[in-house]
Amino acid sequence: MSASPDLSAMSARQLRDAVASGGISAREIAEAAYARAESLDTEVHAFLQLTPELAFAAAEKVDRARAAGEELPPLAGVPAGIKDNMNLVGTRTTCGSRILHNHESVYDCTAVRRLLAAGALPIGKCNLDEFAFGSSTENSAFGPTRNPWNLERVPGGSSGGSAACVAAGMASVSLGSDTGGSIRQPAALTGTVGLKPTYGRVSRYGVVAFGSSLDQIGPFGKTVDDVALALEAIAGADPFDATSSPEPVARYAAAPGEGVRGLRVGVVRGMLETEGLAPAIRAAVRDAAETLAGLGAEVGDVELPSARHGLAAYYIIGPAEASSNLARFDGIRYGHRCEDPADVIDLYMRSRAEGFGQESIRRIMLGTYALSAGYYDAYYGQAQKARTRIIEDFRAAFSRFDVLLTPTTPETAFRFGAKVADPYSMYLNDVYTIPVNLAGNCAVSVPAGLDPAGLPIGIQLIGDHFAEATLLRAAAAFEAAVAFAPVPPLVRSLGTPKGGE
Amino acid sequence: MAIDTLIEVLARYEAVIGLEIHTEITAARTKMFCGCPVAFGGEPNTRVCPVCLGMPGALPVPNEAAVEWTLLAGLATECDIALWSQFHRKHYFYPDMPKDYQISQYDLPFCSGGFVEVEVDGDGVAERADIGGSMPFVGPEAVAEGSGYRTRIGITRIHLEEDTGKMVHVGGAEGRISGATHSFVDFNRAGTPLMELVTEPDIRTPEEARRFAQKLRSIWLALGVSDCNMEEGSMRVDANVSVRPRGSSEFGTKSEIKNLNSFKALHDAIEYEIVRQAATLDAGRAVSQETRHWDAGARRTSGLRSKEEAHDYRYFPEPDMVPFNFDPEWVDSLAERLPEMPDARRDRYIAQYGLRKHDASALAGEFAFACFFEETAGIAGLDRSKQVVNWMLGELTALLKAQGSELSDVRVTPAMLAELVALIEDGGISGKQAKDVFAEMAETGDPPGAIVEDRGMKQVSDVAEIEAAVSRVLEAHPAEVASYRAGKQTLIGFFVGQVMRETRGQGNPRVVNEALRRMLG
Repeated sequence: MSASPDLSAMSARQLRDAVASGGISAREIAEAAYARAESLDTEVHAFLQLTPELAFAAAEKVDRARAAGEELPPLAGVPAGIKDNMNLVGTRTTCGSRILHNHESVYDCTAVRRLLAAGALPIGKCNLDEFAFGSSTENSAFGPTRNPWNLERVPGGSSGGSAACVAAGMASVSLGSDTGGSIRQPAALTGTVGLKPTYGRVSRYGVVAFGSSLDQIGPFGKTVDDVALALEAIAGADPFDATSSPEPVARYAAAPGEGVRGLRVGVVRGMLETEGLAPAIRAAVRDAAETLAGLGAEVGDVELPSARHGLAAYYIIGPAEASSNLARFDGIRYGHRCEDPADVIDLYMRSRAEGFGQESIRRIMLGTYALSAGYYDAYYGQAQKARTRIIEDFRAAFSRFDVLLTPTTPETAFRFGAKVADPYSMYLNDVYTIPVNLAGNCAVSVPAGLDPAGLPIGIQLIGDHFAEATLLRAAAAFEAAVAFAPVPPLVRSLGTPKGGE
Repeated sequence: MAIDTLIEVLARYEAVIGLEIHTEITAARTKMFCGCPVAFGGEPNTRVCPVCLGMPGALPVPNEAAVEWTLLAGLATECDIALWSQFHRKHYFYPDMPKDYQISQYDLPFCSGGFVEVEVDGDGVAERADIGGSMPFVGPEAVAEGSGYRTRIGITRIHLEEDTGKMVHVGGAEGRISGATHSFVDFNRAGTPLMELVTEPDIRTPEEARRFAQKLRSIWLALGVSDCNMEEGSMRVDANVSVRPRGSSEFGTKSEIKNLNSFKALHDAIEYEIVRQAATLDAGRAVSQETRHWDAGARRTSGLRSKEEAHDYRYFPEPDMVPFNFDPEWVDSLAERLPEMPDARRDRYIAQYGLRKHDASALAGEFAFACFFEETAGIAGLDRSKQVVNWMLGELTALLKAQGSELSDVRVTPAMLAELVALIEDGGISGKQAKDVFAEMAETGDPPGAIVEDRGMKQVSDVAEIEAAVSRVLEAHPAEVASYRAGKQTLIGFFVGQVMRETRGQGNPRVVNEALRRMLG
């Protein structure tokens, strides 16, 4: 029996190649993932639900294919976490909410189905802020996820569980969803790579909608290459999503090797001058610009003048769409229903009041107000105008540059409770990521080192529409130059894994 | 409530009526935003999927065929087609609506600014006193025509949306939700493509409303967009009714009447409502804006819920779909695909078959009838088309009415009716016999020639054969012959009866009569 694989030491690509060459079985990988989850997840709480039946069935399929001498798919045997707002038959899909605590999926999310068709092993469903509303996972109805780098600190959010399970080596890749930064911000806070694809690049069918015009599913990984592999597996047109794009899927996983010589990189100056940006992060972005220049990129300055309106526009459009998307959770067909309703109105009001948490209620109220007669033009209409300006800013920037560089977040992982009482300070965590969702562009957060407190820093690279290949090329070149292979202390404390059974 | 009352009320008040007509696009075959089949009935919740059940994460994908049918409907009713259009979400909570918002259209409907011409004749003309000449003309343009009149009803818009599910309430009065102890929801209908047509408030009488709805149904049937079955709810009409004193140009307060599931219900409910509102105003009270329910049994409307607090539907553009951007050339190519519309068909029947206008309208307005007529006339020959029409509007219509069935359910085919007409015209059988044959062929589906043959019904017109029968009768009844010749002329009936019996009912009555008078005289 071969030694149990160390999921922190091997990339998804290495695991897949080891399975393909017969050095390791998919079953052993699944066992290692669950052993790691057993040691760490009581503390980290990345998963709301572990799905060993599904994972071992998938592993058996991979191992049988390998035994039969078949060619293995690109993610064969790669352990994967799935954010719990994505449907997968055989699991509950709770969205981190009491209102769906008992909801069993009746169909599969397209992106999840594609990930599993590529041979990935579904380890479990990952914790999140309720309905993806938040930047810390503190809004999960089932308790927060802790940051594997420091258990006193948040992993970011809303895809905090997806980030933490990769950071802690309980999975090699994971799927998150990003409406205003929900992949990139937790990636930055956990020292992982997190990609938000171009709007329409990945089907939204089966991810429970938050802001329909903003949501995208994207992958987390320890390396840019792993993220590229996972993106290639899940991207592409879907007849079940009318907003998915027919744009052909490029060989993203092949792109990273090509370097950045001649690539035009624009540093978004205004974002480095924001009040509240941690000095260590500002320095990391400046260093990143120098690093890329040193690799042969043409680095210059760029402005996105309307991006400063992004946060305000986002907190109109996002909640407006969310208030509409969350109407269906009414206690009639599925999910939580109150006891002994007096009539249908009572059923609606109590089921929703009991089922939704505070942040969900806040966003439903914000969005309902913004769409109300007499307020629509002043709020939703104005926000759409700001959104158009931001789109124009990005278009102008990409006429001069191939990739833009910004911080991912204003600060590194913060303590639990630090921002709970002040929603606005929580919202500010996404100030650099939100404009990208409004404009529909792709962007990736890449680890750039640690701050003085030993917490990971992420930089954000932004690409043009459907220019994921270029974006990943820049990210990979930066990653290689920084040579930062983050392993959280929590994981290092486990030591070398023991041999298998 | 008597018509007299309505006419008396309409002498003092002008009614202002607009219709909202929902039609399921049954021709689209699948639902508006998913692949579930469109059909009536079925075991509850069997034609459903994650999309039309509003499951978490499911997304709508527009049914292109339904969009195309809506544009065709707009073109058929002289509407402008919006080249740039989109769906909106309309929000309200109700258990039969899976997402608690309806995907509909708001400020950018596919079709707008059309019209339909309506003709009123017969008793309904009396409802329009102003056309008769004694009233000053105040309504929209109406043109006297023959014994009736013609008027043009504007179409504000036609938009596309999704239908809701259906609810069954248990324990409440009349199956309504208030007071119910349990409610069941069937989502089979949820997501069915639904066109909503809104008219301008151009309608002035209950009869115009009925004629408009009938005309629209005939247009939809000619187009093939829907089966327009009012009982099954694939065509549903709501009426907005208000009254104002003659001469006033301000609108009165309107009520919206629902549950109008037949043309008769539409007419009668509007009639009731006009008289009720006039009586309210006559009593010095105000009409309240509300939704009212037509009770066909009690023949009255009753208030449902007050509309004074208007709903805020919080419309906003549907972000799950990209806007529609139609190529004008493609829209033009759709217009070329339009089949012949009922008015054009009627005019053609008058010109081509020489039909009377009333008959031509009756056939052309009912698409299935029109097809049946053209096929029958094609077989019977142009010179017999009037007889074909008489049979269709006479016996065939009576049969349908008696059975409560559709033309497609009947066993009589165009070939059979053409053969029957030929049998009469060529002197084979009498008109009375033909009615018996018609009844039998409707029942058995046997061709008329075979029925005539089997029953030995073939009419005898041969003079020599008839004369031989007359001779035998006269010989057998010498006393009656003597009485007749002595002046008892009424005995002629007796002799005819005897001769018919002798010819087993097949004697041509005309030939029999002539032979008798000749041989007795």
